[in-house]
Amino acid sequence: MIENIILMNGYGIFVWPSFLITLLACGLFYYRTRKTLKKYEKEFAQEIKELSLEKRKTVLENSKIATRILSSYKKTF
Amino acid sequence: MFNFFYNSNLFIWIEKIINFINSIFFVLLISALSFALIFSPPDYLQGDSVRIMYVHVPAAWIGLASFSCIGILSILNFIFKIKNLTIITKSIAPLGLMFTCLAIVTGSIWGQPTWGTFWAWDARITSMVILAFFYFIYIAIHKLISDEDKAIKFSSIIAALGLINIPIIKFSVEWWSTLHQPASIKITGTSTIHSSMLMPLLLMFSVLILYCALIFLMKYKTEIIRIKKKNLKRL
Repeated sequence: MIENIILMNGYGIFVWPSFLITLLACGLFYYRTRKTLKKYEKEFAQEIKELSLEKRKTVLENSKIATRILSSYKKTF
Repeated sequence: MFNFFYNSNLFIWIEKIINFINSIFFVLLISALSFALIFSPPDYLQGDSVRIMYVHVPAAWIGLASFSCIGILSILNFIFKIKNLTIITKSIAPLGLMFTCLAIVTGSIWGQPTWGTFWAWDARITSMVILAFFYFIYIAIHKLISDEDKAIKFSSIIAALGLINIPIIKFSVEWWSTLHQPASIKITGTSTIHSSMLMPLLLMFSVLILYCALIFLMKYKTEIIRIKKKNLKRL
């Protein structure tokens, strides 16, 4: 049965590469997108840290998004 | 109601949706792959090579749908100047390019056992290659032009021009005599595909749509953080 699934009556040589290419491309794309997102989150959190206490307070009070980014960054790292 | 569409409200939902998709994605992927590779029957003419359809067709659908979205949203953005639409189109474009390329590559692999050749310059394949070029130019404009207003203007023109190519791709198999078979699935009218193949196809399509949603949301989130970072520097 396993042999049938792998060989697919001689069409396995076409079917498996199609699925593998698709899965590999999707996997790589996911990895790159996630990596970029985490990089930006990290940089953003660092830039917030470098702000003076007063400026940081203003940013966090005025921007819900900044607060969310910081909290999601803290969850990850 | 429109308050929901403010970035700050959307941002909270983005995280929830990303977590939800992550939690169900692998179960759906495994079941879709099992149906596509094992449980679905072979075709009476094409044999097991028909299984390539389960990645080729959804990839082509997503490629076409993504560019249609980009085109329509770019035109709306050109008229109404809504900044959020640029973020959305920029987030969709790389996904669309990847799926268009996947449709071309898997179609080429499918072509060998079906037509006896990996490549033919027939109307459907050529118009898909043109679509990939439109995606490429659209992304390149946003990467290379630093003036954002100029980039939006040029990319909107490219998106509007590329939109003309979408019906050409769709109807190419009817307008010209091509190697490519006509559509088996019709929204209006009777589909000629058997339910035993339609079900795995729709399952695989749903999984890839979920994947697209996941990537889109991650890219959208990245774009928002990038804008927030820029604003921080202005402080």
